[in-house]
Amino acid sequence: MSDAPVVNKKVLGLFALAMINVAAVLSIRNFPSMAVYGWSCIGWYIIGAIVFLIPISLAGAELATGWPEGGGVYAWVKQAFGEKGGFVALFCEWSNNLVWFPTVLSFTASTLAFALTPDLAANPWFMFSVMMIVFWGTTAIAYFGEETSTKFSNIGVILGSIVPSLLIIGLGLWWLGSGQKIVIPHFTLAQTVPTINLSTLPFFATIVLLFAGMEMAGFHALETKNPQRDFPRAMALSAVIIVICTVLATLAIAIVIPASQLNLASGVMQAIQYFFDAAGIAWLVGPMALLITLGGVVNLAAWLIGPAKGLGIVAEEGNMPPIFDRTNKYGAPVAVLLIQALIGSVVSLLYVFLPSVNQAYWILSAMTVELLCIVYILVFAALIKLRYSKPDTPRPFKIPGGMIGVWIVGGLGLFGTVLSFIVGLMPPMYFTNWAVYVGSVLLGTFLLAVPPLIFLKFKHPGWLKKQKSGEQP
Amino acid sequence: MTLSKNGEICLVLIVAVMFILPCLMLGLIYESEPYHVIPGEPVKAAADAAGISVVDVKGTLWNMAGATGGKTYTLTDPEGDIAYVAIQAFNSAESRDAAVRLYNAHAPGKGKHVGNMIVAGQYLIYATPANSPIFAKLVPALQQAAKTTT
Repeated sequence: MSDAPVVNKKVLGLFALAMINVAAVLSIRNFPSMAVYGWSCIGWYIIGAIVFLIPISLAGAELATGWPEGGGVYAWVKQAFGEKGGFVALFCEWSNNLVWFPTVLSFTASTLAFALTPDLAANPWFMFSVMMIVFWGTTAIAYFGEETSTKFSNIGVILGSIVPSLLIIGLGLWWLGSGQKIVIPHFTLAQTVPTINLSTLPFFATIVLLFAGMEMAGFHALETKNPQRDFPRAMALSAVIIVICTVLATLAIAIVIPASQLNLASGVMQAIQYFFDAAGIAWLVGPMALLITLGGVVNLAAWLIGPAKGLGIVAEEGNMPPIFDRTNKYGAPVAVLLIQALIGSVVSLLYVFLPSVNQAYWILSAMTVELLCIVYILVFAALIKLRYSKPDTPRPFKIPGGMIGVWIVGGLGLFGTVLSFIVGLMPPMYFTNWAVYVGSVLLGTFLLAVPPLIFLKFKHPGWLKKQKSGEQP
Repeated sequence: MTLSKNGEICLVLIVAVMFILPCLMLGLIYESEPYHVIPGEPVKAAADAAGISVVDVKGTLWNMAGATGGKTYTLTDPEGDIAYVAIQAFNSAESRDAAVRLYNAHAPGKGKHVGNMIVAGQYLIYATPANSPIFAKLVPALQQAAKTTT
């Protein structure tokens, strides 16, 4: 470990940046859940695109080219609302992961179990062991810095996310072309309109945050060869890949598998087995499970590395105790990675060994939603504010339409995320005590969002890295 | 305000505890559902007790280790709401809890699930849509049934 400042190697180009976003957002485990909606999943996806995917892509492109500094959302929000705002935004992006990590780890372990022997998924020790190997293994990859993790991400996202998505889409097309029975009604425009009422409103937050992670490339600005040129293009490329794969693969599943078979959202592998059995290629289920396991690992890696890098930069700026700002010779924030892995391991332990506590899980997932909404509310607000407070800062990519364009983009994003925050507080109707539910979610969100304010309260010049190197702060 | 080295370590520990605390508290507040056999058809009985009509019933076997079969009900209430409630029995606490983990691992993105699930005895009971008022009416009776053992 080293305390000396590390010179970041510029290793990321357009493709690598785009793949970072695709790795963070594109997840095959979403498809069966969304396929339950049949044709109306198109409407839900359009809502998600209008109130979140397009706004965050445009906002990210403008902010990343205007302030191509390390730290991603931290750098952007700091410009608009100061250190405190930036730190809170980044910390919420980081802390929501610690609640979410067990979910994606469990997905990876259960998918791997499906490839080996499905019964293994019932063994909590198998699950926990695989989860820990994946978690610490991914942390180890992050330890070796940007170059290694980029190679892993590029290969992993293609093999683990894009190839399986294209395979599902291809099978869907074959299904249609070979005249097989379509299990959803024939397409009409009216069927694409989603039903929005009190029952489905909580799903609004889910659909908005389905595309969370489009800002992930921003954390890698210091390692990007030409951020001003590549960020907007990477945003566009990744958005196109994500939308095409997500919408078409969901529809492919919806037309082949009856909703009753998907009703439990019983798992992507169960859906794929049904799909592949119907197509007569059951032998592909095992290899597909391995690819999807890899996709889960890459999805985890994107969220594990990006915000941790951001937190490393915050620590280097002297906003956290020196224990957080240790970097190694590869430039990886080892202390943050280690602390993250330790906390994540404890939360995973609880997740595996207390599985039937479903109310608790619902509250934890609501906390994830609330924390993410705080991040994006601050990003969209920063986008608008910076057009007023720093209008002359060169922005190689500017949202078209002047101030009106920015207000439309920022306004749509704010609308989507504020509404998601509100509906994120709605408990399932079977919760008898709404006050306890809302109180628990808000208290948990507060506990996971407030540490930056504690750190800044105790901040002192000795925490600045330069000071330790003998330079003036 | 400045901190000593030990103070900084304490600060880091406090922050770490702040992360684990919500998860731990929730784990302690909400008790894990014990595995035991509930007799009869709890969803049908709960629907009858709540004045909810069963429109359709189909037998289902989920493709999961330890699943032993169940039913999918299409339910409607006097207000015209419709809900789909699936119930599946499992042969052990381990297989039932593995199914819960699998379910939890499949929330779309970083959001919430499409439906709601509760655990009652040997059963997992899953309802869509997520905020169904019908399911809200069923749950008290299902929880009561969960206390009944053979």
